[in-house]
Amino acid sequence: MLGKGGKRKFDEHEDGLEGKVVSPTDGPSKVSYTLQRQTIFNISLMKLYNHRPLTEPSLQKTVLINNMLRRIQEELKQEGSLRPVFVTASQPADSLGDTFREAQPAFSHLSSQPLLPPDLVSTTTPLESCLTPASLLEDDTFCTSPTVQHDGPTKAPPPALQPIKDSFSSALDEIEELCPAPTSAEAVAAETADDDSKAQPSESTIQKPEGFLESRTAEPKLMDSLPSNFEITTSTGFLTDLTLDDILFADIDTSMYDFDPCTSATGAASKMAPVSADELLKTLAPYSSQPVAPNQPFKMDLTELDHIMEVLVGS
Amino acid sequence: FPGAGGGNDIQWCFSQVKGAVDDDVAEADIISTVEFNHSGELLATGDKGGRVVIFQQEQENKTQSHSRGEYNVYSTFQSHEPEFDYLKSLEIEEKINKIRWLPQKNAAQFLLSTNDKTIKLWKISERDKRPEGYNLKEEDGRYRDPTTVTTLRVPVFRPMDLMVEASPRRIFANAHTYHINSISINSDYETYLSADDLRINLWHLEITDRSFNIVDIKPANMEELTEVITAAEFHPNSCNTFVYSSSKGTIRLCDMRASALCDRHSKLFEEPEDPSNRSFFSEIISSISDVKFSHSGRYMMTRDYLSVKIWDLNMENRPVETYQVHEYLRSKLCSLYENDCIFDKFECCWNGSDRQVLIVMTGSYNNFFRMFDRNTKRDITLEASRENNKPRTVLKPRKVCASGKRKKDEISVDSLDFNKKILHTAWHPKENIIAVATTNNLYIFQDKMN
Repeated sequence: MLGKGGKRKFDEHEDGLEGKVVSPTDGPSKVSYTLQRQTIFNISLMKLYNHRPLTEPSLQKTVLINNMLRRIQEELKQEGSLRPVFVTASQPADSLGDTFREAQPAFSHLSSQPLLPPDLVSTTTPLESCLTPASLLEDDTFCTSPTVQHDGPTKAPPPALQPIKDSFSSALDEIEELCPAPTSAEAVAAETADDDSKAQPSESTIQKPEGFLESRTAEPKLMDSLPSNFEITTSTGFLTDLTLDDILFADIDTSMYDFDPCTSATGAASKMAPVSADELLKTLAPYSSQPVAPNQPFKMDLTELDHIMEVLVGS
Repeated sequence: FPGAGGGNDIQWCFSQVKGAVDDDVAEADIISTVEFNHSGELLATGDKGGRVVIFQQEQENKTQSHSRGEYNVYSTFQSHEPEFDYLKSLEIEEKINKIRWLPQKNAAQFLLSTNDKTIKLWKISERDKRPEGYNLKEEDGRYRDPTTVTTLRVPVFRPMDLMVEASPRRIFANAHTYHINSISINSDYETYLSADDLRINLWHLEITDRSFNIVDIKPANMEELTEVITAAEFHPNSCNTFVYSSSKGTIRLCDMRASALCDRHSKLFEEPEDPSNRSFFSEIISSISDVKFSHSGRYMMTRDYLSVKIWDLNMENRPVETYQVHEYLRSKLCSLYENDCIFDKFECCWNGSDRQVLIVMTGSYNNFFRMFDRNTKRDITLEASRENNKPRTVLKPRKVCASGKRKKDEISVDSLDFNKKILHTAWHPKENIIAVATTNNLYIFQDKMN
């Protein structure tokens, strides 16, 4: 905010947006209201996701912006339309749009399936395409079913947890979005209700800032992904039943997980290349009582985790 | 104020300004807190670079009755250093969020200063004599060859140039997960509270390795978080009572005798929203940025984005007085949201303990600050600026033209400089001297005597 010192110029354009708020039901001013709301929505999103400070973002600011977004979403839901047009040009989003499809077909279940090219609809686990060690470390966290949304989450989800690194946080977010906490029934309901009218994730991707690799696409998904901003500040354990000490990679080379989010234009998957999905699946298969199948939660204990880590790091 | 009758109207004059003259503001020099001590003799500022600068008022020159003593630098020290939280890969800012003075008990002065995570108790003491005449050491500290010592003498204290030393006496760390926004010393002068976004902790000044959590509004599921704590303060007289404000415009008064964890308030102060002013930004502008008890403890004052409100502790459903600080910004909220100004945290303060005077003060943009006289219901806008400010010249009132034809000497809303904000102001506890912090300068104004 400081340094420039220039006087602010009154933007004529904004005059129309900023006047007294009119009721959305007024005739000709409805457009103005909708436009205003849309602008505020976009600004809010950009504030939340374009900001990568060296210090922790202000929790108060984050909470207020989140509340703003939720309020607008509520309004939009009530009005029946769930897909606002994104006024801001999102060139980065466009370029990432395809790659997001590629990187995270896990989200295919979130939108109406027919909208996606069939080859991208994954019938196997999300592991195939968005592998991270964090996902394995989660204690009975994620479901592999693409239809989990509607069956209800089959896990007791931990709250959005403290990530050790960016890659972990993005993985966690993906997992959360696959299996939202039961308390965000609102979000789940929103998705079920609005599946038909929902846009494809890639179409409505917002400007993707550096540092956030997860796809924050469909709006109701924002309900899940928003709180992860809060988690920057939480000090709750990263894992529910496991302590960090059990898993801490004290003697493990984590350089493969250190990647510069700025340069990652191709999403998370490309960075996880060192371990092939097939290899990992093979490793995991013996440890689960059944072959990896939809609707089955993953359960592992410490020794299994150790082994997996060896596999991941050893390659 | 201006031109009005009444002997009580204060005429403010420029007295001093501290800080760099350049327009180019060094980030570390940004003033982040201002506080007079209990006697008013000392004035402390904290900045973004983690430093504390204390000014001391000169002893009044009895022959010079035209002005009160000037404030000169008394002590400067580095209170907090930047830290790095390795677990979260985030920096912990060294910026001083708040300074609170302890009442003076002996020759030394004590203050609490805090950044986002750690509170420190500093002792500021003077040294104006030193021992001289050691037997085994030279004056410069080198040890003497014992064989050269032929006589013994007793070291004596001799005067030296005044040295002011600041030393950290207590460090209260690792008690806050979130960012500390307030500290407040209890009227028992033994305990104090520190508040972050979600929790308030109670400390004993002597004990650094534990604190007691007295308020916790963290939800079990962080996804449900919609409200944070924005400020907290102990009641000036009642050592079991404190208040805390929230981002939703509410103030809760809590009694520590009721239970160990004061999650249930004794009183909840909230004004119902005015439906005619409803906008997208209603919640954000209702967020309270500061709360201050009056000296008597009967009232408290809150500052939200556009107004200052005075509350009677006996009436929870609405404030007894509301003063508009810069209502002309109401139509600009979208832009102010976009450029983040809407999140600026303005503080407010009461006048000193002079019972005849009832004025509250707060800052605004364009280096303007506002005062509201609760007796006369008049208000004034003044500017902290190096231009046109000669000592003992009465400050000229300013006026912002909200709309329509701008009169001469008025400033239109569109010309306001939103980078020049006055967030921190302080009023001398006994006299009509005020300290007003612009971005990196500290202005001192006093009323025109006789």
